Amino acid sequence: MSGSRSREEFVKNLVAQDPPLADEQVRHNEDLFKQIKRRACLQKAVIIAIYMAVYLVAFGAFMLRKYTDNVVHSVCWGTVSLHILLWSLVYLLRGLSMQMEGIIAKTFGSDARRRYKSQNLFVTVVAIVLFVFSSFILCRSFLLTDPLQAVEKGVGILWAIMVFLIIYSFSTAGLIAKLWLEHEKMQLYISTSKSNNSENQDNDAAKMRTV
Amino acid sequence: MEQDKLADAILVLSCQKRDEPAFRELVNRWQPRLYYYVRRIVEDENAVWDVLQETWLAVYQKIRKLEDPRKFPAWLYKISHNKAVSLLRREGKYVQMAEEQMADCFENNGTIGIAEEQAELAHKLLGKLKLAHREILTLYFLEGFSIREMAGILEVSEGTVKSRLHYAKHKIREALKGANGVWIQK
Repeated sequence: MSGSRSREEFVKNLVAQDPPLADEQVRHNEDLFKQIKRRACLQKAVIIAIYMAVYLVAFGAFMLRKYTDNVVHSVCWGTVSLHILLWSLVYLLRGLSMQMEGIIAKTFGSDARRRYKSQNLFVTVVAIVLFVFSSFILCRSFLLTDPLQAVEKGVGILWAIMVFLIIYSFSTAGLIAKLWLEHEKMQLYISTSKSNNSENQDNDAAKMRTV
Repeated sequence: MEQDKLADAILVLSCQKRDEPAFRELVNRWQPRLYYYVRRIVEDENAVWDVLQETWLAVYQKIRKLEDPRKFPAWLYKISHNKAVSLLRREGKYVQMAEEQMADCFENNGTIGIAEEQAELAHKLLGKLKLAHREILTLYFLEGFSIREMAGILEVSEGTVKSRLHYAKHKIREALKGANGVWIQK
């Protein structure tokens, strides 16, 4: 035990012979974390760009076949737009949820964060499954099958996406709003109890003076 | 010591789940030792910071692939070694040691014990060694890695590690003769 402690001391002393300057360390660490964030954003952007490119190329290839009449055209455009809308919405709400998780962890602790995460996870998983499934079917329809079949599937997916958009956005937004209200309530409670405490202390002091 | 290892393992597991505060904590815990190690390989201070930044970026990107969190220290030093060596190679300053003797001809059970107050002396002695010997002895002093771990970090054979360590210890023994607080066993 004492051996390991003296070894620890030795390492500490050795490292102290040539330590990094504290200011430099802070500056470089901040740089590092900024770079990490930038890279993470860039990676996500690249993935989205690749996905969008593949998706739009498939759609473009389908449209260029010129089998389409007006109805087919509008159904396909509608499906693609809604599909992209779902994708953006899932990302947006996911981002909001993560922000919310941070606030919840600060205010209510990690247990509440876990509970919130599990509530939110189900909806997100369903969103991703629906998104992947509809991407697959649509890409396949655009590239391989005849336009009528594409329209048939497109209409089905269109409805599914519309229904899901409503459920997903309302449930997640509702959850976020509920937690935000709870957070505000908690803040109010904390500030009220603080002011009560200080009032009590003032009263006690006044009583002491009277006595 | 064991508590530190456990804390590191927990931090690594959190980092694998992309927990940013845990990553910050991990960087703060390891930065001074890693800085000392890289500084023994790369002389220019700006270059040291570049190596460290590249190391931590690589750690962040690859940490999910690290299967055993207990192997984090060796894995971290391996990444920083590779980054430092590639920087030296780019600048044409890296010289591979040509005459690596095989280790079997050495008995390598000698240990160097240096009292905690002799760290200054150890630091000065490290500066007098060649790069390969300095690096291996720094690893030995800082983390007390096993021969196998050091071979993994430096990507050389265990024999080469034994040989370099033997040579470095020999040099240190000569330099430390008569110094207080230093004991060497054969």
